[in-house]
Amino acid sequence: MTEETQEDEAPLFKRWSVWYTLVIGFLILLILVFYFITKKFS
Amino acid sequence: MSRPDWIVLVLTLLGIIAYGLYKGRTSRDLDGYFLANRMVPWYMVLLGIMGTQASAVTFLSAPGQAYTQGMGFVQYYFGLPLAMVVLCITFVPAFHRLKIYTAYEFLEQRFDLKTRTLTSFLFLLQRGLSTGISISAPSIILSSLLGWDIVWTNIFMGGLLIIYTMTGGAKAVAYTQQLQLIIIFGGMFIAGYMVIHRLPEGVGISEALHIGGKAGKLNIITTGISSKGFDWNDRYNLFSGIIGGFFLALSYFGTDQSQVGRYLTARSVTESRLGLLMNGLVKVPMQFLILLLGVLVFTFYQFNKEPVFFNKSQIDLLASSKYKDSLVVLEKAYEATESARIVSQSSPQQQQLKAIEEKKAGYKATVKRWLKDIGADNNDTNYIFLRFVVDYLPKGLVGLLIAVIFLAAWGSIAATLNSLASCTIVDFHKRYARPTSKEKEYRLSRMYTLFWGIFCVAVAQLAYNLGNSLIEAVNVLGSLFYGVILGIFLVAFYRKRVGATAVFISAIIVEAGVIFLNILSKKGIVPLSFLWFNVVGAIGVILLSEVIQICSPKLNIRDKDKP
Repeated sequence: MTEETQEDEAPLFKRWSVWYTLVIGFLILLILVFYFITKKFS
Repeated sequence: MSRPDWIVLVLTLLGIIAYGLYKGRTSRDLDGYFLANRMVPWYMVLLGIMGTQASAVTFLSAPGQAYTQGMGFVQYYFGLPLAMVVLCITFVPAFHRLKIYTAYEFLEQRFDLKTRTLTSFLFLLQRGLSTGISISAPSIILSSLLGWDIVWTNIFMGGLLIIYTMTGGAKAVAYTQQLQLIIIFGGMFIAGYMVIHRLPEGVGISEALHIGGKAGKLNIITTGISSKGFDWNDRYNLFSGIIGGFFLALSYFGTDQSQVGRYLTARSVTESRLGLLMNGLVKVPMQFLILLLGVLVFTFYQFNKEPVFFNKSQIDLLASSKYKDSLVVLEKAYEATESARIVSQSSPQQQQLKAIEEKKAGYKATVKRWLKDIGADNNDTNYIFLRFVVDYLPKGLVGLLIAVIFLAAWGSIAATLNSLASCTIVDFHKRYARPTSKEKEYRLSRMYTLFWGIFCVAVAQLAYNLGNSLIEAVNVLGSLFYGVILGIFLVAFYRKRVGATAVFISAIIVEAGVIFLNILSKKGIVPLSFLWFNVVGAIGVILLSEVIQICSPKLNIRDKDKP
């Protein structure tokens, strides 16, 4: 079902999994930044 | 509103309608009308997804929520990026491969007709009613604040967009959403700049954050865990946001046709995926910035007089009630307290300031008690941001911000009307009525769009007449169905050995269970926030359908050989 065809190739990176990691990594980074803001300004 | 405000408002709205009519020319068949001939690039998919999710209330309510309760609401969106990843892996390739018009078509291919019809019917019922509410909610706010007639406000809020949505279908929706979001972000950015600009000298963003933080408005991350354990009734915390928010977002973006219809218009799987993943990247920061605007407005009112109640129309009601004399006395005392508070802001006597703030909170609580007593609306959260706009922004800009509210509503409603019409024709008309020509299908689709537009405006008017009871009922309706519908889709994708009958029976049983759980929650017997209903519904359907299939192996497993 997740087999990639020519049309489905990921832009910029070789695989879509890099995009998925980027999105999840960015979410983790945001949560850490928000945690820092919560601690700093509370 | 002043004349420049009216000019800006009218020109912006007319411009959008004209742009929609101009860009909406497409082929006269279902492919052109509902899928824009599958030619939409990823950035328009992204803006379509964002424009459909962000309604007018998003821009009105979120700053007010940050103002009153802090920025913890942003946690509600933490599950969204994770849901985008799952959608890209599973839902998007399957939907594109089958070349479907609606998400529910997929269910007939995987299960059977009754499962498709049930889910599509639930969508039409829930989305039709909730779209009426999304017209009504901003209309009530605007008519209260600006003194507009509610019937005409409802018609302008939900009726004008029908012109281009009916004519141009998905293509007109996609192009107008693009322009609408540019204007919305521009307007919100200018509003943010104006708040900072109006802060006293020496108070910048950093100081504003310190002031907001001191008042508990920057409690962005909370765990919901206390000495008594985890609070299941706490709406917004890290865990409910990630887990509950994940299931809600997966259900909304994966099974709600108003969203599925946006990324089905994409040129390819790649374009759909990119649009969704970009949404996963930008949604949380965007919501953070909207909430931050609320904290900035809060800081502004630390140095300026804050109204005793932000919804002026309710104060007018109070002024003509049995409390009219008491209100005059209270308003005078409140005015004096506010003057003293502003002077004390710069004083080192923090004890004195604290006493004044307690006094002020007492006055505000009294007004809310009186409003409740006369049966008026005593929640002014949704009025905070717009009241600031109307009272403090310069001429012209007020009109632009009012236009932003209209455009946010239009973007969301237009996409929904298009999806309601697509489900009506594809899942019901084409499936149950006699086959007809492409041209007639196209004309019928336009008629269904018009029908749903009129239906939603009528519901909006009904919502106003019935008050909060209908709004609450519709909001509950959504959270009750979403989890179960998601469960059906997850079984379709991940549990190949489970058949149509098992999933149908389990969906009915679990739905009854979720409704029962909601009753227990309302009565306080089971403390459970609404976000968890999605988790219960989805997991309940997966587990129960598996059990039914194991216990009754003779039940039909349709299309088991399909990949």
